[in-house]
Amino acid sequence: MSKFFSALLALLIAGGAYAQERFPGIGRPATRAEVQAWDIDVRPDFQGLPRGKGTVAQGEEIWEAKCASCHGTFGEANHTFSPIVGGTTARDMETGRVANLRRQDYPQRTTFMKAPSVATLYDYIRRAMPWTNPKSLSDDEVYAVLAYMLNLADIVPAEFELNERTIRDVQNRMPNRNGMTTDHAMWPGRGFGTERNKPDTRGPACMTDCRLEARIASSLPDHARNAHGNLLLQNRVIGPVRGVPTAPGDFDFDDAETGPMLLARESGCLACHGVAQKIVGPGFAEVALRYRNQDVAEALAGRVRQGAQGVWGNVPMPPQPDLKDDEIRALVGWILAGAPEK
Amino acid sequence: MTSPMRIRANVRDGVVDVRVLMAHEMETGQRVENGRPVPAWFINEVVATHNGKTVMTAQWGPAVSKNPYLQFRFRGGAAGEKIAIKWTDNRGESRTDEATIA
Ligand code: HEC
Ligand code: HEC
Repeated sequence: MSKFFSALLALLIAGGAYAQERFPGIGRPATRAEVQAWDIDVRPDFQGLPRGKGTVAQGEEIWEAKCASCHGTFGEANHTFSPIVGGTTARDMETGRVANLRRQDYPQRTTFMKAPSVATLYDYIRRAMPWTNPKSLSDDEVYAVLAYMLNLADIVPAEFELNERTIRDVQNRMPNRNGMTTDHAMWPGRGFGTERNKPDTRGPACMTDCRLEARIASSLPDHARNAHGNLLLQNRVIGPVRGVPTAPGDFDFDDAETGPMLLARESGCLACHGVAQKIVGPGFAEVALRYRNQDVAEALAGRVRQGAQGVWGNVPMPPQPDLKDDEIRALVGWILAGAPEK
Repeated sequence: MTSPMRIRANVRDGVVDVRVLMAHEMETGQRVENGRPVPAWFINEVVATHNGKTVMTAQWGPAVSKNPYLQFRFRGGAAGEKIAIKWTDNRGESRTDEATIA
């Protein structure tokens, strides 16, 4: 946790009593368990890193079961996201700078080419992966799967155990550990020979005489607002939605989704299936078209429950053991009806 | 010096799914570095054997990418048995690696 937030939190906890005086009956201090559940960040200097351990061999099993469908058996896939592994050399591990990043003609930038800090990978996997079921891995499982990824990237040997101590040695082998700079614009950055080298923001925390009201300096022109369709329906929504609606007309965020659409989102289906277009699996409209006028609801429900592969391509759909039968039936019926928004 | 391949083989309903990642430069012969053409250097044959029997062969050319990924399936393998992959390149160099079917 950053110093700023620690201080803020201490204030909030200490301020609980104060808040109760001013607004009787409103709110209560966060419990220790609540704070712990929220405070999961691991910093590049390893502050916040939990104890634990996992081997490359254990990680391989987790990877095959929970990660390979999107990232490829060897972390090489680029069908869901850019590859995790590739593009680094033994020489990069010595210098701490990835030589291929300086090449204009190198086809893709992988995670291990870019990531300067192994702690950040730990943090990211623990909070965000697997994409369809974030925060579902135990701390030991995160160690194990990260050990396996490091082995795929030839950073650690096959018999390696990653734990809260060995991870510090790994940091000294990270191929791009000396490669990160922040003194440039986000995009397209200095490497691309542009003039835009000034950082987009310096983001210093304001502690005195701070501006109280935000001033909007620029905004998306109306004609461009809906260029990519309704963004709300394309994002994985976690917590309350902020920002500006992109869909034309009145769009009520609270009322945006009901019924099967909401169930599909909460069950993680929409992380892999677009309504109209393919993401990892086929778009639901494509599914409806393929099975039009066929009596396949039961068969499809079985495939959703048990997992499926081979009908639409090589990428497997994982099983959905947590959904109830009537939920699966409702989802499949809705998909076969073309997955209407309401 | 050649680097080991990564091989995973899994059997399901009698069909073995094999995935291989090879480490090879795969130079096309059409690239120029410091004003000189870089000579072609690529894998031109891949052979997979299971219990001494060839289950797959592939003839490759310079159009295959650097560090190639190969996936194929065959019938008749069982868990615990071995699958061996061998590549040979146009310089006559070759490499064989093995994996156990899971
Ligand atoms: C359903 C598909 C899916 C699955 C399964 C999945 N991921 Fe991901 N992963 C993604 C996507 C998509 C991104 C990019 C997310 C983003 O940038 O918002 C990503 C990003 C990542 C990144 C960050 C890469 C980078 O360079 O920023 C890591 C590391 C990662 N995943 C690890 C894992 C691990 C470990 C697992 C298994 C425990 C896993 N993923 C399972 C889809 C998936
Ligand atoms: C990790 C990604 C992923 C998730 C999550 C996911 N799917 Fe899939 N889904 C796929 C893939 C990939 C296929 C194509 C499988 C194939 O080729 O047989 C698929 C296929 C399907 C099909 C068509 C099956 C067929 O035989 O034609 C339906 C229906 C479906 N999914 C519904 C769902 C529902 C409902 C959910 C949520 C409970 C869901 N999916 C979650 C990836 C996913």
